[in-house]
Amino acid sequence: MIFATGLICDSARGACGKGRPRVHFFFQELLNGLVLGSIYALVALGLALVYGTMGIPNFAHGHLYMFGAYAAFAAITVLHAPYWPAMILAVVCLAVLGAVVERVVFRPLRKAPEVNAIIAAIGLLFFLEAVARLIWGSDFRVLPTPYDKVVNLFGFIATQQQLIVIAAAFVLMGALFYFLKRTLLGSTIEAVAQSPAGASLVGIDADRVATLVFAISSGLAAAAATLIASISLIFPEMGFVVLLKAFAVIVLGGMGSIPGAIAGAFILAFAESFSAAYISTSYQDVVAFGLLVIILAIKPTGLFTRAT
Amino acid sequence: MLEVRGLTVRYGSADVLSNVDLTIGTGEVVTLLGSNGAGKTTLFCVLSGLVRPSAGTVTFMGEDLARMRAGRIVEHGIAQCPEGRKLFPQLSVEKNLMLGGYVHRRDRRAMKQSFESIIALFPALEAKLGAPAGSLSGGQQQMVAIGRALMARPKLLLLDEPSLGLAPLVLQQTLAAVAAINSTGTMVLLAEQNAYAALAIAHRGYVISDGRIVLEGTAAHLRQNDDVRRAFIGA
Ligand SMILES: Nc1ncnc2c1ncn2[C@@H]1O[C@H](COP(=O)(O)OP(=O)(O)O)[C@@H](O)[C@H]1O
Ligand SMILES: [Mg+2]
Repeated sequence: MIFATGLICDSARGACGKGRPRVHFFFQELLNGLVLGSIYALVALGLALVYGTMGIPNFAHGHLYMFGAYAAFAAITVLHAPYWPAMILAVVCLAVLGAVVERVVFRPLRKAPEVNAIIAAIGLLFFLEAVARLIWGSDFRVLPTPYDKVVNLFGFIATQQQLIVIAAAFVLMGALFYFLKRTLLGSTIEAVAQSPAGASLVGIDADRVATLVFAISSGLAAAAATLIASISLIFPEMGFVVLLKAFAVIVLGGMGSIPGAIAGAFILAFAESFSAAYISTSYQDVVAFGLLVIILAIKPTGLFTRAT
Repeated sequence: MLEVRGLTVRYGSADVLSNVDLTIGTGEVVTLLGSNGAGKTTLFCVLSGLVRPSAGTVTFMGEDLARMRAGRIVEHGIAQCPEGRKLFPQLSVEKNLMLGGYVHRRDRRAMKQSFESIIALFPALEAKLGAPAGSLSGGQQQMVAIGRALMARPKLLLLDEPSLGLAPLVLQQTLAAVAAINSTGTMVLLAEQNAYAALAIAHRGYVISDGRIVLEGTAAHLRQNDDVRRAFIGA
């Protein structure tokens, strides 16, 4: 199961006994889909933001996510930080790491052909994985959470942590939307993406926007990783599957589109959780990617392509 | 006041601008006339800090622009309405305007004031504030582009070929707006191929050809000049 989705070893699905009515079964899968979709959305949003603004397909994004999980793990186990401060610490650490990565790895390649940035991202991915293995070894770890109780919501079962994942993801998405759409600083991100020349003429510093975008993107990934790390496992390769899913999501949603990333995340997640439940867990990824192929055959540019 | 001395810009081995001298005095509208490829946009890029000069000096209000970042130049009082407008097409008209005031973002009151004066100058924009800038007509987009530059509260406004793609009547309105902006003391440098329109509102002008200033004088003087008439007015 863990290796099928790479994310969820869901207790809730096991808890849903055979004798239960089908409607419960449906809600249980709906819950699983929401949890999975929340994580996909947070990860894919960061990927879409970086691609949409700078045209960089950041293949190291999943590994920044992995680092976020380890940062929270270290905060809790080494610094004995409580859960929420540990998450904030992980987000801040990754925001800084993201900013450094932009400054050191991607900025020098801004004027180089796109393939250079792709190769740099892949190099960074292996570098981050090696560093994680050096520090934390290859063992599987679980992030301790104080929210491990099972709650009964109108007759169907959820863990507190599952509800926290969904709530936190929606709060973060709301905050990101507010920042991008309602603040002048947030608007500078879209401005640089839509007209770099226009942006520099009004005095927007494209370098600072690039740093900001990487910081937000990595911070969101850290939040997602911390949220799911109590349900799933932490290990140095955990970034690969997430990266693959997040890329599927942004291709589905239309490269670089923010609403597309959110819609794509939940479409993929529901496809996965319902196919696991109603067909077979072993077909889960096949169904999900089959869906991707079908949607792209109908609308090759993705669901929410921006007009240019 | 702006002073350009001996400005040369070289791309590879070709001089796109060679030894350009140009000044703009307090309260003036100056036009830079030249056909396609003469070097007008390159000069504007230098003035906005997007292209660095290979030689020469550019000073504005006593400060050297050659080393200033683009954002610093805007703060220092030079805003550009670029060729092709370079709007943020999917952002609302209001956002486009507000982003024009980006360097003054901490002074909310001043931004609100500029915003209101721009709406007063271009009343047609009021009904379009929520619309994506890219959905507007060419004339209205030109208003947004000029408005965006004005949000920076410039002392010198650079206008690069605002006539491009505008119908004659819309062009007249645009130039009337530029004259109105100038009447409040803002200096204007207007690059144009349409000499007839530009000379109607300019005090002085320069003719640029192949990166060199080949003629300069008052608007009246240039209007009389045979070369100018032949090259740009079609008389
Ligand atoms: N980045 C560049 N590299 C090389 N040549 C350029 C570049 N930008 C402009 N040029 C050349 O400089 C000349 C002047 O261009 P430009 O300043 O755009 O003229 P104008 O705005 O008067 O039409 C043209 O011959 C153009 O081909
Ligand atoms: Mg030009």
